[in-house]
Parts: sequence; C-alpha cells; structure tokens
Amino acid sequence: MNIVVAIKHIPSLADELEVNDEGTNLDYDMVDFVLNEFDEQAIEQAVLVKEASGGAVTVVGVDVIEELDGVLHTALAKGADKAVKIVGDLEPGIDSHTHARWLADAIKEMDADIILTGVQAADDLDGQIGPMLAAHLDMPYLGVVTGVEVAHRVATLYKEYAGGMMGKYAVSLPLVVGVQAATKPPRYAPISKIRQIAKTAVIEEIEVDDDGPGAAVMLRKMSPPVSTGHANMLPGDAEAVAEKIIAIIKERGLL
Amino acid sequence: MLTIPERFVFTFLLTVLGAVTAAGFYGIFNIVRSGRAAPPRQETLRHLIAAFIDVGLQKPIFRTRTVLSIFHAFIFFGFSFYFLVNVTDALEGFVKGFELIYGGEAIPAVAPALTPVVNLGLVNLFNLVADVLSVLTLTGMAAFILRRFLGRDKRLRFNDNVLLHPQVEQGHVHVDSAIVGGFIMIHVGSRFLGQVFRLAENGRPDWFMPFASVLSYIFRSVPPNILNVGQHITWWLAIGLILLFFPYFVRSKHIHLMAAPLNIGLGKQAPRGQLDPAVPPGADDDVEPGAKLLQDLAWPRLLDAYACIMCNRCQDVCPAHSQGLSLSPSALEVNKRYLINEEYFALAGGNRSHHLLTEVVISPEAVWSCTTCYACVRICPVGNEPMADIIDIRRRMIIGGAEIDNGIQSALESLAKNGNWFGKGSRARARWTKGLGFKIKDAAKETAEYLWFVGDTASFDARVTPLTQKVAAILHQAGVDYSILGRLEQNSGNDARRVGEEGLFEQLVENNLAAFGKSQFNQIITTDPHSLNTLRNEYPQYGGMWPVHHYSKVLLQLVESCRLEIKNKLSHYRATYHDPCYLGRYNGGYAAPRQLLALLGVNLIEMPRNRENSYCCGAGGGQIWLGTTPEGERPSENRIREAITALSQSANGSGPGGKLIFVVACPKDVVMYTDAVKTTGNEDKVVVKDIIELVEEAIGEAGD
Repeated sequence: MNIVVAIKHIPSLADELEVNDEGTNLDYDMVDFVLNEFDEQAIEQAVLVKEASGGAVTVVGVDVIEELDGVLHTALAKGADKAVKIVGDLEPGIDSHTHARWLADAIKEMDADIILTGVQAADDLDGQIGPMLAAHLDMPYLGVVTGVEVAHRVATLYKEYAGGMMGKYAVSLPLVVGVQAATKPPRYAPISKIRQIAKTAVIEEIEVDDDGPGAAVMLRKMSPPVSTGHANMLPGDAEAVAEKIIAIIKERGLL
Repeated sequence: MLTIPERFVFTFLLTVLGAVTAAGFYGIFNIVRSGRAAPPRQETLRHLIAAFIDVGLQKPIFRTRTVLSIFHAFIFFGFSFYFLVNVTDALEGFVKGFELIYGGEAIPAVAPALTPVVNLGLVNLFNLVADVLSVLTLTGMAAFILRRFLGRDKRLRFNDNVLLHPQVEQGHVHVDSAIVGGFIMIHVGSRFLGQVFRLAENGRPDWFMPFASVLSYIFRSVPPNILNVGQHITWWLAIGLILLFFPYFVRSKHIHLMAAPLNIGLGKQAPRGQLDPAVPPGADDDVEPGAKLLQDLAWPRLLDAYACIMCNRCQDVCPAHSQGLSLSPSALEVNKRYLINEEYFALAGGNRSHHLLTEVVISPEAVWSCTTCYACVRICPVGNEPMADIIDIRRRMIIGGAEIDNGIQSALESLAKNGNWFGKGSRARARWTKGLGFKIKDAAKETAEYLWFVGDTASFDARVTPLTQKVAAILHQAGVDYSILGRLEQNSGNDARRVGEEGLFEQLVENNLAAFGKSQFNQIITTDPHSLNTLRNEYPQYGGMWPVHHYSKVLLQLVESCRLEIKNKLSHYRATYHDPCYLGRYNGGYAAPRQLLALLGVNLIEMPRNRENSYCCGAGGGQIWLGTTPEGERPSENRIREAITALSQSANGSGPGGKLIFVVACPKDVVMYTDAVKTTGNEDKVVVKDIIELVEEAIGEAGD
C-alpha cells in the first residue's frame, strides 16, 4: 500500500508576525517556517496506518523557502520511507490552487492508495488543498478526520461532528483524507536520529515553474487587527469588586 | 589445637568451599566486566588508595545518620581487624603451642623467631584490640538487628508504588539481612565466647582481654573438659562458619564490604556536572545510546549494585521519594542486584540479560520523576551513581521512540525548532531588553569582556524578566563590560541532556558554540545555574573553553571592589538562602551568595538542609516541563515549609510587613518558589526574592 502525505511549510506562530511594507502579506523575511501542525497529525496517522497494515509512506511538500529538508528528515525519522520536495524559483505566499496542482502532479506519479493531508493550515485557513487534490486525482475526499484504519483496500475513517457525535465511514481506496488529528499524538523524533538521517537520506526533487496566482481570488491587503479599546480591570477583593460592578450598572442606567 | 579429624574436615571444606567461592567471584568479575566501557580514568591506584583511606576512616558514611554510622564503624573496625583474628585463630587451631592468650607466653617455645614480638607486648596489644572490638562489633550488629527487626525503621522500606524485583517484594532483603546479621553475631560471638572458655579453663584472667576475663569468672565452675569441648565448638562456629558462609557471601549484601571501597576508588573522575557520554567513546557504530538491558550500563553501574548495602540514604534525600512518587534510587540498585543474582549464571557466562531495565529495575514513571538533583549520588557512602542509570535509561527511551510525557515532548520540540522551550521565536529572545534605558552590546558586533548567557527562563518567563532587567541595569551601573547574543543564543542544553535527548543537546551546543565563535569576549556570566553547569563542565568537551561565572560571584566582586556601593544595610531582614542544585551541589558555589548577602547586611538564617544537603526545588532534569503534575507535596512546597520553620524559630529581624525573605539565585527557583508560596498559602508570611533584588535595595538611595 502506498501511503502519501501531502504537507505544507508555513510561517511559525512562535514569532510575532509582521506585515510587509506594501501591506499585502506577511513580511516573510521576519518569520521562521514550520510544518503545518495538521500535517504533523497527517504524518503520524500515515505512520500508524503503515505500522498497523503495512505499506510505505511517502511525504511530499512544496519547498517554498528552501528549508523543507529539516521537516522531511523529521518525517523520515518518525517512520516515513521516502521524501519528495517540489522545488523551483519560488516565493512564499503560494495560493492553495497552485499548491494543490503541484502536489497532485507529483502524487500522480506515486501510484498512491491513500493520501493524507492536514485538514487546513494556519497560514490561509483555506482547507482547500485536500478537496482540490481529490479533484485533480479524481478520488473521493473526506475531511476533519480523527482516525484512519485500512484493511482489504477499504479505509475506515472516523470523523467528529458537532455535539459530540462520531461518524464512521468505510471508503474504498484510493482516496484523499483531510486529517484533523491522528489516533495518537504525534511521536517524538529524536534529534540524533534526524541528524543521522540528514546525513544519508536522499530527497527526491521535482522541478516546477511558478507561473503566477492559480486562484481567482487574491489577497489585497493584510494588517494586524486594530484594537478597539480594552477591558477595564476592577481591582480589590470580591466585595469591593461587586460594589463597583453595581455602581457601573447603575451609572449606565441598566438597573 | 584441633584434633586430626577436625583439621582434615577444615582443610577439606576450605578447599572445596574456597574453590566454589573463588568461582563465584570470577563470575562477578565477568558480570561487572560485561557492562559498557567507562570513561577513561587516571591515576587509578592513587584513587584506590585514597578510597581505602577514606573508608578506613569511615568518612563517607558519616555524611548523615551519625548514631547509626557509629554502630557501623564498630562493625567495620571489628570486621577489618577480624581478618587478622581469623588468621591467628586458624593458626591456633593448626599449630601446636601457638597460643596468643597471656601475651603469647607459649609462643617462644614453638616459634623462637617470634620471641621479640612477644617481648614487645604486641600480642597483648592484639588481644586487647580483639577483645574490645569483639564487644563493639556485637554491640553494633545487635543495634542494626534491633533497628531492622524490632524497630522496623521505616527508612529501610520503600514507598508502596516503587517497582521492586519479585524477591525484594517478598522481603528477601530482610532475609538476607537476617542471615548476614546472624552470621556476624555467631561468628564474632563464638570467637569471643571461645576466649572466655579458655580463660575459664585456665582459671586465671588475662587483663589484656578485659571483657573476656570478666565473663570468664561466670564459667569458672564449669568442668574443664566441658570448657574444652566448648572451645572446639566455638572455634568451629567462629572459623568454620566462615567457610560455610563463603559461597553465600558472593550472593549476599555483605559483599559490599569488598565492593564499596573498590567502587569509591573506581568512581567518577569527571566533574559532577559532566554526564558520561551516551555511547562509550570508540564504541562501534551499531552501539545504541543509553541503556535498555543491564549490559548497556557502564560497568561501574554494575559494580554499584554490589557496593549497595541497601541503607536507603539516597532515598531519604530524594525529592521524588519524599513526594511519594515511585522513584527510589536505592530500589534501583537493590533491584539491579537481585536481577543479577537471578540471572547470575547466564550473565557470568556472557549472555545478555533477559529483562528490560524498565520492567524489573525501575518503572518508566520513576525514570521520569528524577530531578537530577544529585543528592542521591552525593549522599551515597559507597560511591553509587543511581542518577547515571536513570539518564542512560532515559536516553534509550528517547532514541527508541518510547512514549514520553507530552509536556517534555513539546519542550524538546520547541528547543529543536526555536532554540528555547517557551515556544517563542528566536527573535523574541532579547525582547526583555526593551525599556532598559541603555543599550546592551550585541556580542556578534561588539567586543566585550563578558558574554552574558541569559538562558531561557530569564529571557522569556514574565515572572523573571523584570529580574533579568535588574541584573542588566546593575551590571551596567557598575560599569561591567558585557554583551549578549540576542536571537543567536539558544538554550544551553543542560536540561535537554538530562532528559536524555543527547542529539538535541549536541545540536544546541553546536548552535551556541557557532554563536560564541562569531563573538569577541573573554568570560561568560549567567544567572542560570543550569546553563552555568553545562557551559562550565560540558561545553569544554565540544571546544567551548571559556571561564563561566555565576552572577552571585560577579556581584560579590563588584561589591567587594566598591564598584557597587552599599548604601542601605539590609539588617532588618529575616532571610534564608536556598542553594540551587546546579550552582551548589554540582559546582560548589556556596560561598559567593552567602558572602554577598553578608556584605548587604543580611542576617542569614540557614535552613537545616543547606549547602551539600540542599533540597531540590523540583524543577531540574526536565521536571519543569512535565505536562502532568504528580500528586503529593511538591519539593518546592516542602522547602518553603522548611524555610518558614527555620526562620520563625530565629529571633533576627523581619522583612517588610514582618515577612520572611526566601532568597534565591536561580531563575527557575524564582518561578518554583513564588508558585510554592502561593500553593502553600503562605503569601502573608514569606516573600521570594532574587539576590539581585536585595542588591538593588542595598545600593539604592539611602532611606529608600
């Protein structure tokens, strides 16, 4: 079974984000990139499926800022078997359409049985890559999945619904899954293992050309939210605070 | 003098049981040797001699439990001397006329060469020492037996949740103790009684054997032939019993008397703060880091198991144990020993152990409860290092992909990703410098005498950054020429290494050394004892050879040289000082903070556990990262209560609003103890202050 994980390298939220001078997007020079956390779940789920049912895991992603190797080495240390990066003369801020098209082109060559990807990513909150991959590859898609099992070419998928309901699906392979969370929390990849792999691993490269925006919509302006006043803290013990609250309510004519 | 059949039986037993015992020792030799290589040692002979002298003076055992240690010294001196006594007793049994009583008056007739020895009174001296030590040994041993079996001293037991080898669980340690104790009582008691019988049979006392002489009067009325038979029986119970005991000795706790001095002499030579490598230097590439089975441990760790007498002193000082957690350093050693005994023949034959350490020796929960405070290693009278086992087990768990605590995992991931465990971007590291009113030199751009290694907690924790700013301002005020690395600084890796993440540690060291390499400075200062420890003791192995100072020492020098002027003496404070493990026990930094406090005018009241005996705050070894808080009284809470008791009993002045001052000199301590003051509900009684706050108050405008 060929298990493919499509991943995305996105700006780290550990940094304080800054908008570029033009106000059109993030200042990508002032931010570190990390693996999308939902993709981390997708990798873990892929390795769990492989451990339970056999197969090989291929991780593929677009190397936007030429720093994806570390992420791929980590994935290999966690149990992935093969790593592929899509490279070219690229700039950060590639939209989901382009992203999905490049990933789909790469995955077409992989004879994939099941494709896992994070249900969304913090950079654009589109949640589009999974569905678009499925469209490109002509496969069914199920998103917000919290558990995957595979047996006899049928995937059993678990999906959480609002109100604490749990759905259980049986889908024939191949298919694309948007992973919300893996069955178990992502495992830890020891650094010495990652460094060992970094010395020996061969990452396959697929060349692409950045031919401009792929979506019909474009980001025009980006800015931090304007703060509109802030909370008024009432100091003092419970009784004093209670008195102040009553005073404020009276003052505003609410009582 | 023994009869001919007696001599025959003795010789036969000596040959057979002696051979069995020798084989037993050879097995132990092979088992210990089957452990991994230890770091190379120097001047082994000198260290061994020093260890034998220390043991001879009973120094290691007197670190604590004075009364019990005195009883131990009785037994120790008695048993050491009994080596000589046993030889002369055997000679008395085999050589006609060789009799030591009455100063050896019969000896010249059979061995004229020994006449000077007799004439010098050496035999009398020997008899006197043997007589007194026999009584002392019996006293000491009786005290130990009473303590264990009648007093049922709780310190000899483990917490209920501690993983124990099945035999230990069934109480075999007590059985072993009963056998060894019984042997010593019978062996020494019979020898002593034999002397009593001899004196009684001869009808005259030998006042160089005072105790035996006094007792001999009781037996004066017993017929001589019965006393003679009694002497044969007691000879056998004294000397013959040794032969019977020999083969058991190899398996018993008693072997500590041989293993302990060896273990101390062959102990760690590197600084306390330097962990042994995860893989022995020069090992094959396929050797996995850390330990899963007995043989993955370095051989001194296997010798540890033989040196352990199961006194549980390490357990007494272990913060995890006191909290009621499942960790007991002594249980680890005892379990190792019982596992070795269980698999003795297989291991001695060169086979690998069949049991995972985490299944028999120490539970995974216990492995992750260790704060690496070093108290267990420091207190151990026989030079054991249970903490080293724990680190090696952690190392293998990490590399082997064992499930680890989610808090520790995210800390490690953040360390790998961001270079700090706060999940903050590297650009945020120097944010605390905003609003200082002056600019701190950028180490990458400007030359400075000191590089200030700030560390994660001091850089990111909102409770600590105001203190970091105070340190910066005061160093600036005193004209200290210092720089910081800013975003190029990463966590020092001290705690990552102690969690067992050797690869991450190496990565952090490399990144920091790369940053150091781009900077111009001569010395390093830090407020963080954890950073200090690895920078001082471990970075040199990677090429980082700078002198590293704690800010307590730098501040002391500044006050001593009047670059900081004391304007207010803080004599109104009722204060105590907490020694951080990684400054004190690991690096001997006891004096500077105390001298500094004295110069500030603070009347320091020591807590009962201070300096080498300081009690861990519970944060070290990755404990501060744990995602789940274990139940029980946390070490920091225990410590705050200790401080309040110590301070309340003192009549010295008191702080503002009558509060007691708990002085710390470690960013993690600020966090741990401010928290503990709140959780113990003592906010109205005690205030945690970093030493820098006291410096600030003392150098402030008079009357502030």
